[in-house]
Amino acid sequence: MSKGFALYGRFRHVYVSPALVFVAVLLYLPFLWTAYLSFTTYDGLASPVFTGLDNYRRLFEDDALLTSVRNTLLWVVGTVVLPVGLGLLVAVLSYDLRRGSWFRLPFLLPYAMSGAGLGVIWGFILQPDGMANQILTFLGMPGGDTAFLQDGPRNTFAMIVVWTWQQLGVNMLLFVVGLQSIPKAPIEAARIDGASGWRLFRHVIWPLMRPITTVVFGLALVAGLKNFDIVWVMTQGGPGRSSETLAVTMYRDVFVADEYGYGSAVAVLLTTVTGLASYVYLRRQAGREEAR
Amino acid sequence: MSARDADGTVRRERAGAAGIARRAVLAVLGLVWLFPTYLIVANAVRPADDYDPSDAVKPPSSMGLFDNVSAAWDRTGVGGTLLSTLAYSVVSPALAVLLGALAGYAIVVLRLRHGFAWFVVIFAGTVVPFQMLLVPLFVGYSKVSLYDDHVGLVLVYTAISVPLAALVMRNFFGSVAVSIFEAARLDGASTFRIFWRIYLPLSSAALAAVFILEFTYVWNDLLFGLTLSQSESVRPVWAELSALTTDVYAGTPVPIALAAGLVVSLPTVVLFLATQRLFTRGLTLAQL
Repeated sequence: MSKGFALYGRFRHVYVSPALVFVAVLLYLPFLWTAYLSFTTYDGLASPVFTGLDNYRRLFEDDALLTSVRNTLLWVVGTVVLPVGLGLLVAVLSYDLRRGSWFRLPFLLPYAMSGAGLGVIWGFILQPDGMANQILTFLGMPGGDTAFLQDGPRNTFAMIVVWTWQQLGVNMLLFVVGLQSIPKAPIEAARIDGASGWRLFRHVIWPLMRPITTVVFGLALVAGLKNFDIVWVMTQGGPGRSSETLAVTMYRDVFVADEYGYGSAVAVLLTTVTGLASYVYLRRQAGREEAR
Repeated sequence: MSARDADGTVRRERAGAAGIARRAVLAVLGLVWLFPTYLIVANAVRPADDYDPSDAVKPPSSMGLFDNVSAAWDRTGVGGTLLSTLAYSVVSPALAVLLGALAGYAIVVLRLRHGFAWFVVIFAGTVVPFQMLLVPLFVGYSKVSLYDDHVGLVLVYTAISVPLAALVMRNFFGSVAVSIFEAARLDGASTFRIFWRIYLPLSSAALAAVFILEFTYVWNDLLFGLTLSQSESVRPVWAELSALTTDVYAGTPVPIALAAGLVVSLPTVVLFLATQRLFTRGLTLAQL
């Protein structure tokens, strides 16, 4: 073979560079710029003025932001408990049933709808004179005059229920995939030893599901933290900023109030919380993995 | 011998009772989930004039879906947004899949030096919350006149789609035998020719899975559409339709709003149900 022949070609880096350029220019550069802007006062027109930690100090005194943090936490807890918990329930009940996929279909239909579509449709259903209240009245149930979206934190709870209706499907699907791929031998062995029902699930199946539960819970955590579409479409964070999440607060501070610097600080806060939560969660998972 | 048989029979009966209980729970929960689906479909089909929230449960007496859809088209700018939304959802994922495949090829097959580090740089892009991008993109796009421009949105959608494509393609190319590459190379094929004629066709299933996942994602986007566009001809469909719940379209009859929401969701619903298995695999891949 001649010395000049390069098996892997001479221009290998040319193949990675387009992807790198896209990611660098449109993701990393803006990321760094936002981090810088969070230390400035900026209205998008005049040049940014460096003001140190002022924006971050202001975060702690901002009542709207505190409400937003509370709502974001509600979203995280709500997401992990409801769509993930119920998704697990449906998956465990149906994964080894004959024709189990038919039982799963009702939960999959809403998932294919977009967050914005969900918001549009449920916004109309939950209006004060909308279908939800009319049906409660019709059934003779109390609460037929509930203002689902008018007061905090009830509006957040109402939206979490809507979110659960949509998100159960995807969590269920991931759990089913996980359940169908766990080894059968330990389960059979435990059955022969007389384990069944809850004990079989708790001590044999659940530990074997660890890889998929790590993925599903991690996803739910991040999705809960970054929630924007539903809230923006259904309430725009209102009334009176009572249903804002951090992602909505950031959007409102920047594009409604023209406070680009302060909005950037909210974005940095959201990023830090998301990063920390993911890190702590993954560390805990990894720690458990080692302990076994 | 007979004791074992008896034991087996008992176990099977117990499983049967448990099976019935499981089916019952699933059926009840399934009905609870179907009820809103029914409400939405029934009232999107109902002629707008017949709508009465207290009779929302009744099945529609006549078919008004098409009238509702056309009324939604007249009232909002949905019609004008559909074509550009379709363009974004096809062009950006296609581009991203190609760029991701090129990167994966260089890193795995061509054994790029520090390949893993480059891969991490590309993939870590998924970790960035979009809120960190909005201000610079909005301001920057305004300066270089990409704001409210089709190209601007295609670029953003491509950038956010590249990391997943790179991940999946890198994993996929890792499973292809190296001897294929070496043989083709020694036969005198250029590295690009090998990519284009061998590796890309080999990976069509993986490419399709990523494409579908990202098509859905771009079609459903709201945030970038709201932030980076304003005119009807550029704005993606959900950014336009989301205004239905605000004052902009106050007084829109419920059936018309429901019909619009349903019809615009249709492409992703159909795609999702048709490719459920692929979709799940893609989702699992995406999270690894």
